[in-house]
Amino acid sequence: MIKKFTRSVRQLNVDNITSNPLAAVFILLSFATIYYASQFPSGEGLGAGFFPIVISLTIIVFAVADIIVDDDTELDVSDFELTPAVIVTGLLLAYLAVMPYTGFLVGSMLFLPPIMYYSDVRSKPLIATVSLLLPIVLFYIFSRIFMVRLPEGIIPISRLLPELPLMVI
Amino acid sequence: MVVEHIATGVSNVMDPAVLAVMIGGVLLGMLMGSIPGMTATMTIAVMLSFTFTMEPATGMMLLLGIYGGAVYAGSIPAILIRTPGTPSAAATIFDGYPLSQKGEAGRAIRVATIASFVGGFISVLALMFFSPVIADAAMQFRSPEFFALAIFGLTIIASVSGDSLTKGMISGLLGMLVATVGIDPVSGYQRFTFDVPELLTGVEFIAVMIGLFGIAEGLRKYSQGISDEQNKINQQITGFLPSKSDLKAIAPTSVGSGVIGSLIGAIPGAGGDIAAFITYNEATRWLKDTMPSFGDGNVRGVAAAESGNNASTGGALIPTFTLGIPGDSVSAILIGALLVHNVNAGPELYQDETGLLYTIFVGFLLIYVFILIFGLLGANYWARLINIPQSLIWPVIFVLCVVGAIALRGNVFDAWIMLAAGGLGFIMRLRGYPLAPMVLGLILAPIAEENLRRSLVIYDGPMEVLTASPIAVVVLLLSVATILLPVVRAMRS
Repeated sequence: MIKKFTRSVRQLNVDNITSNPLAAVFILLSFATIYYASQFPSGEGLGAGFFPIVISLTIIVFAVADIIVDDDTELDVSDFELTPAVIVTGLLLAYLAVMPYTGFLVGSMLFLPPIMYYSDVRSKPLIATVSLLLPIVLFYIFSRIFMVRLPEGIIPISRLLPELPLMVI
Repeated sequence: MVVEHIATGVSNVMDPAVLAVMIGGVLLGMLMGSIPGMTATMTIAVMLSFTFTMEPATGMMLLLGIYGGAVYAGSIPAILIRTPGTPSAAATIFDGYPLSQKGEAGRAIRVATIASFVGGFISVLALMFFSPVIADAAMQFRSPEFFALAIFGLTIIASVSGDSLTKGMISGLLGMLVATVGIDPVSGYQRFTFDVPELLTGVEFIAVMIGLFGIAEGLRKYSQGISDEQNKINQQITGFLPSKSDLKAIAPTSVGSGVIGSLIGAIPGAGGDIAAFITYNEATRWLKDTMPSFGDGNVRGVAAAESGNNASTGGALIPTFTLGIPGDSVSAILIGALLVHNVNAGPELYQDETGLLYTIFVGFLLIYVFILIFGLLGANYWARLINIPQSLIWPVIFVLCVVGAIALRGNVFDAWIMLAAGGLGFIMRLRGYPLAPMVLGLILAPIAEENLRRSLVIYDGPMEVLTASPIAVVVLLLSVATILLPVVRAMRS
């Protein structure tokens, strides 16, 4: 282990960092945190910045060790297609971005058809049924049973839905 | 006194609404556990939002029903198609699948059901009768001990939750760092809030959990390619009860594995998968001469693995409830579910919330009775669920994740936090970072910080703290040993 560590330190070069970019990001994030937290007022005792600074320093220690010792724990990226993850993330980003305008109900009805189609659901009646029913059912469960306010959007379409009796569990 | 508490628990559990929620949880857990790739952790994280406005006991019944149901049902695809429904059913494949190949899938599922019931029931009894003793001892703990326990919890979990200790520690520390966002509990100073009002009360850790276990998992599935490949199940599963000879054969193994599984489950970080592998291994060591041999379709192998993994469910709740240290990712979410209702896990739970606690204990016992009934009666139906298309499930899960995050405080901001956590979790998993330590870091950081700072104020300096609390010293030394042990072992080998 020690031999491996010393060998790794000797062979340390830019490739180690480029092959483990996330650890490098964590180190940068920790330095930024230390810089920011060191400006917190010290006050009585340890002060508000003490704990974040200690955590960040420890992250730096472990992240440097992670860069030096390549433990081959990362997944084989060739087994993964990143495009689908990017597309799904894009759809989720759009879903959340338009929600203040569309509200939860309409936003979900707009989100479900493309994501289902992208997931290879080809039955149009199934897509239509799930896209309409799921948001309505969830809306009723959360607003009428759990009494949680979901975003209404610019046009409060949900008010067109028939009122159901309140239920409390 | 205990009898009175149990009686209160029984009367609370017999409420029709609680029973309905419990049965719903068990059925949902069994549904999701039967589908390969749908884990108990993910399902509980996604369904957590449904418990926000429920009574704490009712909400816990839903989540524990999902937990027990999913851990049990993971055995069904493991037996039928050699793919564990949940990671904890991996050891069930060894003997379950060979039995299925011999045309005895029904027999294997029935044995798995009985063993799951026995293991789960034993573990909840252990939780019910042993955890109050531990909580009693923990009542003597003060700030230094709780600080040391939080650090120990993080190190032990990071060391067992992945292939790399460094990556596990980084993940846990990142969780701790995220937990420092918001108003400092001691000085009142706003830390890392960047004038965002929603961050004043900190990052909603439930939103982070939903992101890490729901969104990140979904993105990973899409990256690997969602497959709706239909697994052909050639066997009709008929009959309800196992034969008398099978019952006789698996009884000692199920009970023994239940006891060992409960102990393993109580070790923070050792989840159902580790418990199942250990109990299976123990069964092969103790029952060398049984026929057929292990790996060739021995019902005792199925019983050992299934009793072991279900026993870990109750075991994991022992450190969770008594010390506030989560035993695994599911117990971390359960701590979150209690915190939503301003109920803190730890020894105070045994002092202030005995009604809730014994309702949970009795309810969890009843959950295993429901698992036994539904498992035996519906084996043929659960087997068919294996082929539910994932292409339909994931879009629904994404919507549930979003509505769950919004329901936390009724704003979309928490859904953005959830999405950010999901994206980070996905990238971290690709790079080999385990996600469970991050959630545990989120939960343990406030405990560690508050108790450290309080200790230093009370004891006037770190040396005073250490001399005042030998238990804290021992626990901190154990934490250091937990980090150093893998290094020393590697050096020796």
